[in-house]
Amino acid sequence: MVPLSYYLMLSGILFACGILGFLLKRNIITIFMSIELMLNGVNLSFVAFAAHWHALSGQVFVFFVMVVAAAEAAVGLAIIIAVYRTRETLNVDQVNLLKL
Amino acid sequence: MTLANLNSLILTLVTFIPLAGALLLVLCPRRDRDIRILALVVTLLTFAVSLHLPAHFHRSQGGFQFEVSRQWITTPNIHYHMAVDGVSLWLVVLTTFLTPLCVLISWKSIDSRVKEFFILLLVLETALIGVFTSLDLFLFYFFWEATLIPMALLIGMYGHGRKVYAAVKFFLYTMIASVFMLAAILWLYAKTGSFDFTTLQSAISHGQVAGFLSAAPWLFLAFFIAFAVKVPLFPFHTWLPDAHVEAPTAGSVMLAGVLLKMGTYGMLRFNLGLFPEQARRNAPWIITLALVGIVYGALVALVQPNMKKLIAYSSISHLGFVVLGIFSFTQVGLDGAVFVMLAHGVSTGALFMLAGILYQRRHTYEIKDFGGLATPMPRYAAFFLFIVLASAGLPLLNGFVGEFLVLSGAFQARALYGIVAATGIIWSAGYLLWLYQRTFFGKITHQENQALPDLSGFETAALLPAAAAALLMGVAPLLWLNMIDPAVHTALLPFSDVLSKVAGQ
Amino acid sequence: MTQTIPQVADYIRILPELVLAFFGLVVMVLDPLLDDEGSRKTLGGIALLGALCGLGASLWMAQSPGLAFWNMVRVDSFSVFFHVLITAIVAVVILTSYEYMAVQRIRAGEYYGLILFGAVGMTLMSSAVELVLIFIALEISSISSYVLAGFRRREASSSESSLKYFLLGSFATAFFLYGVALMFGATGSTNITAISQALQAKGVPRLAYVAVALMFVGLGFKVASAPFHVWTPDVYEGAPAPIVALMSTGSKAAAFAVLLRVMFEINTPGRFWLIWVSAALSMTLGNLSALVQDNVKRLLAYSSIAHAGYLLVAFAAQPGPGISAAMFYTASYAAMNVGAFAVVSHFAGAEERYVTLADYAGLGRRSPLLAATLTIFLLSLIGIPITGGFFAKFYVFSAALKSGLVWLTLIGLLNSAIGAYYYLRIIVMMYMREPKGEITVRRIPASLGVALALSVLATLYLGVLPGRVLDFALRSATQLMQPHRAAITPAPTPPVGTM
Repeated sequence: MVPLSYYLMLSGILFACGILGFLLKRNIITIFMSIELMLNGVNLSFVAFAAHWHALSGQVFVFFVMVVAAAEAAVGLAIIIAVYRTRETLNVDQVNLLKL
Repeated sequence: MTLANLNSLILTLVTFIPLAGALLLVLCPRRDRDIRILALVVTLLTFAVSLHLPAHFHRSQGGFQFEVSRQWITTPNIHYHMAVDGVSLWLVVLTTFLTPLCVLISWKSIDSRVKEFFILLLVLETALIGVFTSLDLFLFYFFWEATLIPMALLIGMYGHGRKVYAAVKFFLYTMIASVFMLAAILWLYAKTGSFDFTTLQSAISHGQVAGFLSAAPWLFLAFFIAFAVKVPLFPFHTWLPDAHVEAPTAGSVMLAGVLLKMGTYGMLRFNLGLFPEQARRNAPWIITLALVGIVYGALVALVQPNMKKLIAYSSISHLGFVVLGIFSFTQVGLDGAVFVMLAHGVSTGALFMLAGILYQRRHTYEIKDFGGLATPMPRYAAFFLFIVLASAGLPLLNGFVGEFLVLSGAFQARALYGIVAATGIIWSAGYLLWLYQRTFFGKITHQENQALPDLSGFETAALLPAAAAALLMGVAPLLWLNMIDPAVHTALLPFSDVLSKVAGQ
Repeated sequence: MTQTIPQVADYIRILPELVLAFFGLVVMVLDPLLDDEGSRKTLGGIALLGALCGLGASLWMAQSPGLAFWNMVRVDSFSVFFHVLITAIVAVVILTSYEYMAVQRIRAGEYYGLILFGAVGMTLMSSAVELVLIFIALEISSISSYVLAGFRRREASSSESSLKYFLLGSFATAFFLYGVALMFGATGSTNITAISQALQAKGVPRLAYVAVALMFVGLGFKVASAPFHVWTPDVYEGAPAPIVALMSTGSKAAAFAVLLRVMFEINTPGRFWLIWVSAALSMTLGNLSALVQDNVKRLLAYSSIAHAGYLLVAFAAQPGPGISAAMFYTASYAAMNVGAFAVVSHFAGAEERYVTLADYAGLGRRSPLLAATLTIFLLSLIGIPITGGFFAKFYVFSAALKSGLVWLTLIGLLNSAIGAYYYLRIIVMMYMREPKGEITVRRIPASLGVALALSVLATLYLGVLPGRVLDFALRSATQLMQPHRAAITPAPTPPVGTM
């Protein structure tokens, strides 16, 4: 049997990849996917902990997270389209009307 | 209504009548004449009501009178606790006395946004009276901060020249300094659960405040900085000349007449009242600063080409006397300090009014633009001379009594203090008389000055009471001193051992 | 004995959320049936009615405190406080939007719907006692605000603001969620009470510290505290002004409510230094950056960062005075900030053209009433007596001093003195500078007048008679700290520790 720590490690790595992608990538869609990656890392640890505690609730949470992520994706893509319409670019460096 | 009822109500009335008047003005339509008349009526009413205080004050008692104490907020434990003793009583009366004069002097000179002006003036009056009457530290801080905004707005909206700079500088200086005081007040509350001055005083003197000994030096300093900036004590004085020069006349009068006294009053009440031990320890350097202020203020005043700046620096010098008197810890010194506060309020207030009258005619404060004014404006010149002499400390006028008492207190404490301070009086006679000579004597050098109109009715009405008060205070100082003396005696009780030590030197 | 079917009481305990959601749906359904003009007028009215009904429902809910839906939701004084606060904010924001939407010529249907849905999320955040439910509520409110931030669709800056808010917001939620997952791993539960008991009973595993830190990162983003504050000025600058009012008060209040529950009800381990550092940083960075801003919306954004810092000071203090001080602060901050943004959104004009400091020159002459109200709010933000802002700061700092946080208090007090400067700049502009150029200030319409009057009254009420609100907050704090008194049905999850 694969020990719990392996799952946690993997979920941590996924989460960290997401963070790196968020910080380093310049394309908005890629950045957005990095966030999804982070959420999936979290999901993995939820499932792993659920198995660890023998608690079904952890697995139920994953469904909630997926639903919320889907809602977020819908809104997010809509926003991205709105940005593309006004700016005609998906590069975050060029979306710079407001000082950051 | 019985007298007892009235006595417990009187401070609330005096404090809030101006505010009620301000609210009335808010509702009043923008007819400038009506607004001026209403403001005058309100301020005169306040003055009349405030005269109840000296009339029914028990002169022989040192403690607080006309006390009123109600729970305002339960958590934290804040009381609406107001009372006056012989010191704060006169400061209240000084405030109510000067405000109607401010209304009169602004009658013609403020001609735009009249409504806002008088609203601000009345709000300022309430806040100032509140500072002198409140005995709850929280309430005190509340009023203390509340004076800032109307004053800053008066300077910024109705001043001239670099008015915005002056207003912001005034606001930030005093705001930042009072933050320290707030921190100290909060500390005291955190340790004792009370904001009440008398409760705190007894708790501290009985050593019931945990960790007080180690914190006391910092607490003393925190209070002291807030007050020293307000006084202003050298080297915290740089906001004062700016604020005075740019302020409208009424603003200068209130600023010099009353606002500065908040600082010295605070030192007397809180630094001495709550931290006697620390006050004694810190006295040497504070007195040194006061002496530096006396001489420095006088010297700078001597070379000022700007009339208003000259008066502002003379204030720094005079307020140095007050601080010196307070930290001499002698009965006469403190009596004198309080008396100087009142006398300075009257005579410097009058000086600023006189300067303002001239500014309104000529739109300048530069002394070199005048000269020979005695010919076109004889009445004005007479008033000016009278006030200048009062301010310079001519015997039988108000300036003399206070400064004499402070000097004798200073000599008692240490001869050197007295000697240095005495030079300040000489300087002050110098710069004031020189100012007078340059302005009124000689030939008229500027043609515009040839036909300057003499005092108008309103201006005379504003100056006459001030001159009368200056005379009365000089001739019959005991009217004031016999109320101040018991209060000062109470304030000095914790120092009685110190006193004997100093006297023994 | 686990109950299987929700009872009536359960529904009463989420009644405000139900009411708000219902009105949100009504608005959405009616929207296609109306033309632009009608949608603005009618739907605005319906939304306002919805917010007021939500307010009423919150008060009704207060009559039946207790747990609902299998320990997912708890109605106590704490959640009632935030329900009332948030629905009141929403009502005022809707009143402000009424004129704003007409001036900006934006079709308003979805706008009001989204505000109400956002309100559902915010109110739910304050009563949820289950981390996953908190997460869902957080997302409901966040997703609505993402869209609302971009509602000035024709403006590039608005959609950019929306994008930034969306990306950084989701990034932050991912952190929060990871924290929840780790907390679940550390204790075997996501119920706040159960977590608290588990941590007390079995000691604190190291994982729990990491979980707390991650949750703090997530919530720190939401409340705009440093060092997670970078999004704030950009988003506030681009988003519609009434929405900024909502985000900076409503969403923030809800996020602070969650933070209070998480920090104090769980009695979170290792929170002290996290909060200390974040509070000190937020106050200092917020105030220093605000000093140099020329855009009023950006300036208020940095000021809101600074205020988040003052609020966090209360979190570092002892629970009793700390919680109540924080609650009082959110309320009074809401009153003054909603008011300030109401003025800003009225003054901004079509396409939000007038938002720089220079535009405010001479407002005191042009529109004395508008200038006077803004002055009251700014004075309250400075923390001048007789305004709510004064007592808010006062309670926070006295709570901090009572807990011996002398340094943090000093930093805070000095900061509030620095902060005075930039609020003062606006006042100086309004009263002491002559008006430049031709900016026509429109008459204040009735709806905005009501909104401003309410905000002014609330600000002054909290500044003169803070006693009642504070007493209520103190009572809530006591309840919050003794969660175990409420009878708790066994957690729906199987017993732990069978490994």
